[in-house]
Amino acid sequence: MTEMRKISVKVNGKAYEAEAEVRMHLADFLRQKLGLTGTHLGCEHGVCGACTILLDGRTARSCLTLAVQVDGHEIMTIEGIADGDTLHPLQEAFRDNHGLQCGFCTPGMLTTLIELLRDNPDPTEEEVRIGISGNLCRCTGYQGIVAAALDAAKRMRALS
Amino acid sequence: MASELDVGEKFALDGLDEQRHWQEVYREIIGGATKGSDVFFGHSIPRNDVLYKVRGRAKYAANVTMPGMLHGVFLRSPHPYAKIKRVDVSKAKTAPGVQCVLTAWDVREEGFLVGSLFEDTPVLAKTVVRHVGEPVVAVAAETLAQAEAALDLIEVDYEPMKPILTPQEAIAPGAPQLHEQGNIIADFTKTRGDAEAALKASDIVVEGVYTNDPIEHAYLESPAGISFWDGDVLTLLVCTQYPHFHHKQLARVTGLPMEKIRVVQSVIGGAFGGKIDVTIECAASLMTMKTGRPVKMVLERNEVFSSTTKRHAMTIRHRLGATKDGRLTALDMDVLCDGGAYNSYSLIVAGRCIIHSAMPYDIPAIKTHMKTTFTNHVPSGAMRSFGVIKLGFATESQLNKIADQLGMSPIEIRRINAVKSGTVTMTGQVLQDVGFIKTLDALEPIYEARRKELAAKPQTGPIRTGLGIASLGYGIGYSGVRNPSTARIEVDETGLVIANCGTPDVGTGSDMALAQIAADAAGIDIARIRVVSGDSTKTDDSGPTSASRTTYFSGSAARIAGNDFNRQFVEALAAKLGVSKGVVRLNDDQVLVNNSPMSFEEACKTIGSATKNIVAYGKFDPVNQLDLKNFEGDPYPTYTYATHLAEVEVDIETGRIEVPNYWAAHDAGTLVNPMGAVGQIEGGVVMGLGMALWERIVRKDGYIQNPGYRDYLLPGAKDTPTKIETIFVDNPDPTGPYGAKGVAEASIIPVPAAIAAGLHEATGVRPAKMPMDAETVLDLLDRKEAAE
Repeated sequence: MTEMRKISVKVNGKAYEAEAEVRMHLADFLRQKLGLTGTHLGCEHGVCGACTILLDGRTARSCLTLAVQVDGHEIMTIEGIADGDTLHPLQEAFRDNHGLQCGFCTPGMLTTLIELLRDNPDPTEEEVRIGISGNLCRCTGYQGIVAAALDAAKRMRALS
Repeated sequence: MASELDVGEKFALDGLDEQRHWQEVYREIIGGATKGSDVFFGHSIPRNDVLYKVRGRAKYAANVTMPGMLHGVFLRSPHPYAKIKRVDVSKAKTAPGVQCVLTAWDVREEGFLVGSLFEDTPVLAKTVVRHVGEPVVAVAAETLAQAEAALDLIEVDYEPMKPILTPQEAIAPGAPQLHEQGNIIADFTKTRGDAEAALKASDIVVEGVYTNDPIEHAYLESPAGISFWDGDVLTLLVCTQYPHFHHKQLARVTGLPMEKIRVVQSVIGGAFGGKIDVTIECAASLMTMKTGRPVKMVLERNEVFSSTTKRHAMTIRHRLGATKDGRLTALDMDVLCDGGAYNSYSLIVAGRCIIHSAMPYDIPAIKTHMKTTFTNHVPSGAMRSFGVIKLGFATESQLNKIADQLGMSPIEIRRINAVKSGTVTMTGQVLQDVGFIKTLDALEPIYEARRKELAAKPQTGPIRTGLGIASLGYGIGYSGVRNPSTARIEVDETGLVIANCGTPDVGTGSDMALAQIAADAAGIDIARIRVVSGDSTKTDDSGPTSASRTTYFSGSAARIAGNDFNRQFVEALAAKLGVSKGVVRLNDDQVLVNNSPMSFEEACKTIGSATKNIVAYGKFDPVNQLDLKNFEGDPYPTYTYATHLAEVEVDIETGRIEVPNYWAAHDAGTLVNPMGAVGQIEGGVVMGLGMALWERIVRKDGYIQNPGYRDYLLPGAKDTPTKIETIFVDNPDPTGPYGAKGVAEASIIPVPAAIAAGLHEATGVRPAKMPMDAETVLDLLDRKEAAE
């Protein structure tokens, strides 16, 4: 039998406890055990960035992280970005700047940009491009995403 | 389970009031907009699905789970070409958790072969495998791990055969025949005048051989779907560009009557022509029939690389002649194309390439020939532009060569050879409302100004800079066959309006475009309209979302249906109130009866149960016909045109190319949703950049060597131009909905040629193969230096 471990983890502010096989990836744990399917699997080997989550506030690839590694830690996924029904300024900026088309890369783009804008509230376009250079998008050509990130930074600065 | 798929539940809402959110978004953007005939059309309205997508709540097929759901996987061929001697699944059948092991012997004879245009592809291989990655056995088990473990217990004896790896090998005398039809998929020739004589008489003739490697669609979402019984209806939720195709095919594969099948498109994570063929649909459905349980199948990324269709590798031999004042005299083009192991869309690609041989130029003498063969590679199929990007690379590069040799401006040579309204194409079609020259006019001042700026900048160090121009003309819709779209608009007593449109939204935002058109035509608020698309039961077959056809075809159908809705609504209200229909109006979401206003809701309530008799219908079916024997006729109802300008920076020490600035001038008719249209152009430019500079499927002995994103290089945010400026010229198309025409594919076509031209201006070398990676560029620079 595959060895199972109990994992206690806080996701989007909510405490969860679930059993998982020791070899289970965090992405599968979030999607299958916790039902949080907003985190997407694109390439399954850490290149495309769609599965990016925040682990204790830092971005991490959930397809390269084991579920057992997050026991006792805190995670934020795309589902935790909005405040209830109210969109986060970054989400509003994605909506208003055509920051997505098919939307499959969006979970990783948003989590990556949450970290980037927290650490650097007034980034240059170049800094945004470097920040999301580990996230692939096949639809937009990145222009709308970069515009959304810069717009979000402006909105967030106005709020703080 | 049925509720999973009901209208309004395509996105998992978790208690959110969808309608309220739609209305909030729409009103926020549109609230203060001018009322008039174009209330919604022409506005950059954010798409409705964005709300679910930014919250992580969109229902991509892989996100759906159902009670009792099994997980399905394929065992795939490890050989490019082999006979199957024996398949033994007895151990797998009794493995832990396994509920179904499906082999070719479980598929009924009438449904054994499937395919988009030709039924030539086994659901599961039986006697022979023709490419690495071809599915041989499917397994469904309680967990994914159990299904995967069971694959190891399946024994297949293969007798490997020598594979055919190039079209040249496929047409060589004595070559083994891969299919009953032989090794030839397409062999088309089209002539206009005497190209050979015209080339001889030309003042200048340029020759070149242009090649490219196969390309991966690289949609971020792997093909995925879930099949289940919804009562006695076999239902399939799947990411596809064409649910109605799968519906018809599943009827044949399963033997079920059409009304006992339903295929619904899930929210889709990119397509680009790569989600139009069969992947998991048949195997998942058959395993649901065998087990009675839902079966989910999600391809792994390496399976996507090894088993799904690719953009064709082509070799294009090209000769182009001109007079000394730059007038094109003759084109001779000969194309050899690797179609892979099965037909897929190869015939369509070949036909479209023949038709587009001279586009967008008026060339009096043409000989064009294209041959596509089977090989033992994974099938080549549809991908954004159906092959025309490769012709564009050849023809536009050749034209730039002529311009350089004659000392002409690349804009001017295009202007004097451009197709115009009234030009007769080589198929005999008289073109109308051509906006090509407007795209040249739009770019010319930018080009001239930037030239001066760059000339003033001293070129120091290893970086060289150049500007490149390339253009395109591209037909909208299927090539040379009727491909109607339809729309049905209904309303209920509460005022909810449903527009059922057949072509699915593949992530472009086309549902929003259709809602904008329908709302204006019906005279109602867009927030009232829900577009239901991509549901094979609720909508009519309107063809696939492909060939840049949704805005033009389905948009026209939505407009006709909207107008019909307005008429039927007015009549129903007049009948109910017992007044003449002449005194009832519905305009700008306002109902007027004898000039006294009534809200739309009130009017719907008044009509009451008779609202269900309002079924507005629109069908758009332009007559376009082409005789495939001689390529004579009108293959497309309209064409889209563009000219691109690339600023290219080359590091002559490393060979690395960067494209810091890019301009794209398009004639896309009137824009339904400018923000969405710009997004299509930008996305296409960057996809073209990937193909031009980095992307290639590397194959050796029939095996793909780079089946993952680590080794298949896609453009990232740092690799793409800082500035992509999109210019839309003013050129309404009177045949399109409110003047609109298609825009999605075209933007990719001129990118490689524009970059190649920029590279030439910067360094004097002219690549003829894609990708123009650093190694290729350095090699060309070395050869140039050696020659000098």
